[in-house]
Amino acid sequence: MANTLFKTMRFVAGAALVATLALSAAAASAQTKSQSGRDKGQYIPTIWIDPDGCEHWVMDDGAEGYMSPHTNRQGIPVCHRGNVCGVMQSDQFFATNSARISQGGAAHLRDFFVKTGAVSYIITGHTDSRASDDYNMALSLRRANAVAQVAQSAGVRIADVRGYGERQPAASNGTASGMAKNRRVEIICIR
Amino acid sequence: MNILKITALVAFATFVSACEDASFSELGPDKTLDRGIDTKHLSQLQAGIWVDPNGCDHWIIDDGVEGYLSARLDKYGKPVCSGVAEPTMTVGDFKGGATSIIGDPI
Repeated sequence: MANTLFKTMRFVAGAALVATLALSAAAASAQTKSQSGRDKGQYIPTIWIDPDGCEHWVMDDGAEGYMSPHTNRQGIPVCHRGNVCGVMQSDQFFATNSARISQGGAAHLRDFFVKTGAVSYIITGHTDSRASDDYNMALSLRRANAVAQVAQSAGVRIADVRGYGERQPAASNGTASGMAKNRRVEIICIR
Repeated sequence: MNILKITALVAFATFVSACEDASFSELGPDKTLDRGIDTKHLSQLQAGIWVDPNGCDHWIIDDGVEGYLSARLDKYGKPVCSGVAEPTMTVGDFKGGATSIIGDPI
């Protein structure tokens, strides 16, 4: 017991030492020859929010300006609102395993696209987690393409069509209502 | 007359450089403010769209001396290629931060 405690303490002390060394090394090397000295190589950014509602890192260093999208470590932008302007619940538009839209559904969709009047649209298909990942990727893309075809017949511009299968769930696949929510085609409006 | 013009020009140049030059060098680590003649927080920048040669959108801002460019991404992190304009063209009034005194006149 005492031995374990000692080992733990030794590990913690070692880790702290390593961290301190790493920190001091960073502080020493951050100031390069071409820098004037006052910022010590530290650049504290602020946030600029773009018209889509997504964040960007922004810095003004006197004469220079810098900007880069604020994403998480998975590359997903940090946004205050989505630009999803329509979510079609698949159960209302498609039969199980089918990517065929009924005439009534298509008329409804065409109406939506004509009325919305965005610059262009991104269509993404999604499924629940039943069946294989491969199958769901293919089905979701076929459904997204079916929606894009209706959009094109309405004369609007499509920026992209994607199938995400079950990989971007909107709700838990553990319940029937959650799965129903996940079976969807999302329409992103680019304005 | 010529001397007067030259004097005025030199004085003007000094004035202009005094406005911005103080901020050209010796800045601290806080890079969150535009320190030009119209000191403001950078969150107020006005953007337009620049379409890159691949047809994808970027936010473009001309804030006088500073220029900013940042990718327009959708909620999945993919570039937005809206087709709002031809490649290399810009859309929108993104030079709002520039003035005729500081920054480029175009």
